[in-house]
Amino acid sequence: MADTATTTETVRVARPPRPAGRRPRDTPGVFGALSHVALVVWAILVIGPILWTFLASFKTNAEIVGDAPLALPQAYDWGAWGRAWDKAHIGRYMLNTALVVGASTFLTMLFGSMAAYVLARYRFFGNRAVYYLFVSGLAFPVFLALVPLFFVVRNLGLIDTHLGVILVYVAYSLPFTVFFLSAFFRTLPTSVAEAAMMDGASHTRTFFQIMMPMARPGLVSITIFNIIGQWNQYLLPIVLLSGAVEDKWLLTQGIANINTNAGYEADWPGLFAALSMAILPMLVVYIIFQRQIQSGLTAGAVK
Amino acid sequence: MSYAGGTPKDITRRQMLRRIGLTALVAGPAGGLLSACATSGGAPAASAAPSAGGAATSAANPFGVKADAPLEVVIFKGGLGDSYATDVHEPMYTKEFPKASVKHVATQQIAQTLQPRFASGDVPDFIANSGSDLMDNGALQSEGQLLDLTALFDAPSIDDPAKKIRDTLIPGTVESGQIAGKPYILNYVSSGYGLWYNGKLFQEKGWTPPKTFDEFTALCETIKKAGITPYAYAGKNAAYYQYWMILITAAKIEGNQLLMDVDNLVDGVWTRDAMKKSAAAWAAIGKFMDKSYEGLIHTEVQTRQNQDKVALYPSGSWLENEQKSNTPESFEYAMTPTPSLTPADKMPFEAIRSAAGEPYIIPAKAKNTAGALEYARIMLSKEGAKGFTEKSGSLTVVTGAADGLPLSPGLKSVNDALKAAGANIVTYSSFENWYKELETELRKQTNSLMFGRISADEFCANMQKKADSVKSDSSITKQNRTV
Amino acid sequence: MRWRGGGGAGGFSGAKARTYGFVFSFLLVPLVLYVVFVIGPYAQAFYISLTNWKGISATPTFVGMENFTRLLGDEVFWAAVRHHGLLLLALPLVTIAVALFFAFLLNIGGGRRGRTAGVPGSKFYRVVYFFPQVLAVAVVGVLFQAVYRPDGTGVLNGLLALAGIDPVGWLIEPDLALWSIMAVLVWQLVGFYVVLFSAGMSAIPQDVFEAAALDGAGRFRLFFGITLPLIWDTIQVGWVYLGIAAFDCFALVQVLSVDRGGPDNATTVLPLEIWRTAFTFSKFGYASAMGVALFFLTITFAALSLRVTRRERIEL
Repeated sequence: MADTATTTETVRVARPPRPAGRRPRDTPGVFGALSHVALVVWAILVIGPILWTFLASFKTNAEIVGDAPLALPQAYDWGAWGRAWDKAHIGRYMLNTALVVGASTFLTMLFGSMAAYVLARYRFFGNRAVYYLFVSGLAFPVFLALVPLFFVVRNLGLIDTHLGVILVYVAYSLPFTVFFLSAFFRTLPTSVAEAAMMDGASHTRTFFQIMMPMARPGLVSITIFNIIGQWNQYLLPIVLLSGAVEDKWLLTQGIANINTNAGYEADWPGLFAALSMAILPMLVVYIIFQRQIQSGLTAGAVK
Repeated sequence: MSYAGGTPKDITRRQMLRRIGLTALVAGPAGGLLSACATSGGAPAASAAPSAGGAATSAANPFGVKADAPLEVVIFKGGLGDSYATDVHEPMYTKEFPKASVKHVATQQIAQTLQPRFASGDVPDFIANSGSDLMDNGALQSEGQLLDLTALFDAPSIDDPAKKIRDTLIPGTVESGQIAGKPYILNYVSSGYGLWYNGKLFQEKGWTPPKTFDEFTALCETIKKAGITPYAYAGKNAAYYQYWMILITAAKIEGNQLLMDVDNLVDGVWTRDAMKKSAAAWAAIGKFMDKSYEGLIHTEVQTRQNQDKVALYPSGSWLENEQKSNTPESFEYAMTPTPSLTPADKMPFEAIRSAAGEPYIIPAKAKNTAGALEYARIMLSKEGAKGFTEKSGSLTVVTGAADGLPLSPGLKSVNDALKAAGANIVTYSSFENWYKELETELRKQTNSLMFGRISADEFCANMQKKADSVKSDSSITKQNRTV
Repeated sequence: MRWRGGGGAGGFSGAKARTYGFVFSFLLVPLVLYVVFVIGPYAQAFYISLTNWKGISATPTFVGMENFTRLLGDEVFWAAVRHHGLLLLALPLVTIAVALFFAFLLNIGGGRRGRTAGVPGSKFYRVVYFFPQVLAVAVVGVLFQAVYRPDGTGVLNGLLALAGIDPVGWLIEPDLALWSIMAVLVWQLVGFYVVLFSAGMSAIPQDVFEAAALDGAGRFRLFFGITLPLIWDTIQVGWVYLGIAAFDCFALVQVLSVDRGGPDNATTVLPLEIWRTAFTFSKFGYASAMGVALFFLTITFAALSLRVTRRERIEL
C-alpha cells in the first residue's frame, strides 16, 4: 500500500506538462461507440426521474396513477405549484435550512480546524487520547444517541430551537472534520509557520493568518462535504424540531411531511410540485458552482 | 404503553395516519417520547366523584351544575372542525344555563397548549384530546389528572331520563374508554368497518354484495371477467385494513370471545379453528389480487377504486370523506358487511365491526367538572349527536341519533348496516395498541398470507409464536380485558 | 510539549505556558460540544442498553446482559445484520466499479494509441452524474417511489413496457427489494466517485500511458495494469466514504419498502429496527442494545478499512 502511494508521489512529482491535442484524434471504434451508449444511458437514468418529477407536477391525479406513466401532461397549469407553495412552505423550510446549515458549517469548520490543527501540530499529554476520542465518533451510529440526545438538548432548553440543531450538527460533524483536517494539516510544510513564530507571531495568529490559508484546498473540500451532509440530514431535525414548531422545520422534514399529506389527501401533483421546488434551487446553485464543488470536493480527497 | 392500557379504539383519520406510520417520519421520536408511557401499574386513583358543582342535584341536573359557573371547552380543530362545538353543543349548554359563560378554545396543538396548564394546575373543564399532538391519556390518568366518567355513563339520558346514558350508546363505547378498568375517556365518533364498493357500478353490472364466501368467490370470478380487479388492499402501508377483515371473519365464526382472547394473549388462540378457517378463506380471496398491490399505499389503491379498477376494498367509514376530492360523479360509496364463512357462524352476516374513537376527557382538577359532565351529557343527547354528524360528517356513538338526517351515500350505508347489525357488533381489538410487536408481526404475516407466500396454517403458527413470545416477554406490561 | 515544526521550541517556560494555553483554548469549545452532544448521549446509550427502560420512567431497572442475550435469538435483528453486511460489501463494490468504469471512459477511454483523452462531452457527463449527490435523501426517496411503483404505472415499468416486458415488482419481490433500494444509493452516489476518480486519473502522467501503448497495451491493460494501481489510494478513500454511506440507508428503506422493512423483513436494516424497537415498541433498553451492536459492527468496519487504507501513514 505504502509502496504504491510512494510510487504515485514520485511519479506525480516527475509529471511532465501534458502534451494535449498535438495529434488529430482517430475516429473512435466499436469501443468508443459502446462507451458512449453506456454514458448516455446513465445520463438518462440520472435526468429521467428528475425530469419526470417536473412533468408530474403538471399532471392530474388520474394521469399520475394512470396507465401511461411516460406520457406528457395533458395540460400545463401551475395549480399544484400554488398548492405546494401555500401548504408546504417550501420557501420557508429552505430558508431555515440555509440559515442552519450556513451557521453550523461555519462553526464546524472553525472549531473543527482549530481542534484538528492543535492535534496535528502540537505534542502534548493526552493528544492521542483526544484525537481518538474524536475519531471514534466516526464509528458511532447516530441512532444509538438519538434518545439520550433528545433529553440532553431538552435539558439545555434548546429543544425546538435552531441553535440546538446548529450545535448538534457541529458536534456530529466534528469527527470526520477533525479526522480529515488533522491529516491535512500534517501534510503542510512547517517552514512558513516556523518563520512566523520566529518573527514573534502568536500561535493564534499563526493559525489564522498562515496555516488556514495554506490549508485552503482541504478546508474547501471538507466545507462542501459538511454542507452536503448537513443539508441532507434527516434524523436529527426530526428529533430536535418537533411538530410544535412547524415554522422552524428544515427542508427534509417538510418533504417528509408533504409525502405524508400527499398520501393522505391524494394530491400527487402537489407532492411532485413540492419536490420540484426543493430540487430546482439545488440545481441552479449546483450548475453555477459545479466547477468549484467538484474540484473542491476532490482536492482534499485525492491529495 | 399504558396509554393503550384502557383505550382500545377505533382508528380516527389522524390516528390512522399515525398507524400508517408515515407521520413517524414527521412526528418523530419526540412525539414518540411524549406519548410513550412506561407502566400503568401503581397509578394513583383519580377522584372518582365530580368535584362539587355547588348546586343540588336533581333529575334534570344530575351533576348539580352551578348555574353561573363558567365553563372552558378546548376543542381540537382538525378534520372534524370545531363548528360542532360552537354552533351545536355550546349553545345547547348556554340554553340550559343562561347565566353561565362558555369559553371556547380551538387549537391544533393540544399538547403544547395544555401540557403547561396541566403542570400548573390551571386546567380547562372539557377537552377534545385529539390530533397528532394529543396528550397521552394513559400518562394523564396515571398522574391522577383524569376524571372517572362512570358518573356520566350512569347519569340519565336527556332524551329518556329512565335510561342510563351507557344504555343509549353503541355497545363497547364505554369499555373502549377504559384505563385500568375504569372509564376515563369518552370516545365519541363511531366508525363501521366492511367492504366498500361503487354502488352505481354494482347496480349497472347487476352485481350484488356477497353474503357468504361462496358468493364472494363467485362474484370475484365474475368481476375478474369484466376486467376489474375484484378485491384489493394496500400492502405497503395499510396491511391492517386486511387483518381487520381476517379478525372480523374469525369473530363471526367463533364469537367476540375470540378477539378478547387475542387481546388477552390466551394460549393457542391464533391456531384455533375459526382463525385458521378465516385465514384460509381470505388467502383464497387474495388470489384475485394482483401482486403489485403489496407495493401500493392506501390512497393509491383507493384512487384506483374510484377509477373502477378495483371493485371491493376493505376499510372504515372515514373512507368516503378521505376520497372526497377524488371521487368522480359515477362513483357512489357503499359498504357491506364481511361475508359469512360457514352456516354455523356464531354471528349473522349482518354483524359488523364498529368501534368508537376520537377521545374527549375531563381533567380531574377542573374547576367546573359538574358543568363538563353536563356538557358531555349534552353531546350524548340525540340532538347533540345529530348536530355533530351534520357539522362534521361523522357518525357518533349515540344509537339512532342520525335517524332522519340526510346522510352521504357512504355514511348512509354504514348507518343502515349498523341498524341491521343491532347488537351483533364485532368487538374492537386492544392488542393493536397494547402490544405493538404483535401488531407489527400481524401486518407482516398478513401480507405474506394474502400475497401467497405462506399458507393459512403457517400464518396461524407464526402469529401464535409471536403471541407466545410477547406473553413471555417480561419487559412488556400485560393488560387484560373482560368485555 | 513541543511545537512539532519548530525544533528549538521549549526554551523558556513562558512560551511553554503560552503554548499550553493556546492548545487549551483551541480545544476547549470543540471538545465541550463534542462531549456534551456526542459522547454524553452515547455513554448514556451504553448504560440504557443494560436496562429495560421504556422511555419515560426516571429510574430504569438494571437488567444486566439480558438485552444482549435476547439479541442472539432475535431473527429480525439477524436479518437486519445480514442486510447491513451485504450493504457494507456490495454498495462500495458496485459503486466503485461503476464509477471507475465511467471515470475511465471520461478521462482515458476516448483516446487511442496511448493518447489519453475523454470521450466528447465528458464534462457534461461529469456535471450530470454528480447532480444527485446534492439532493436530500428524503427527496430521492420520494422520487423513487414513483420510479419503482410496482404496476404498469411506475416510471421504470413504463420503460420496460416499451420493450414489451411485464411490470417488475421492484420493491415487493423479497429477493429483489434490497437490491432495488441499494440501486437508489448507487444512483445517488456514483457521480461523486466519478469525479473523485477522474481527479485521480488526471493526475496520472501522460507518458506512462504512452509508454504502455508503445508496448502494445490495449484499453483493458491500460485500465487494469496502469490506471487501477495508480489510483488505488483514491479508491481506498472512496471505500471508507461508502462504508459510512451504507449506514445512511435508513431513510430510503423507511420511505420505499413495503411495510417498512418488508416484504418479510427482506429490506430491514439495523437503524430501522432500532427506530421501531424504541419508538414503536417503547423498548429503549433493547433498542440501545441493538445500537451497541451496531456500534461494534461499525467500529470493526472502520478498523478494517483504516487498516487496509492506512491513510494516516500515507499522509504522514
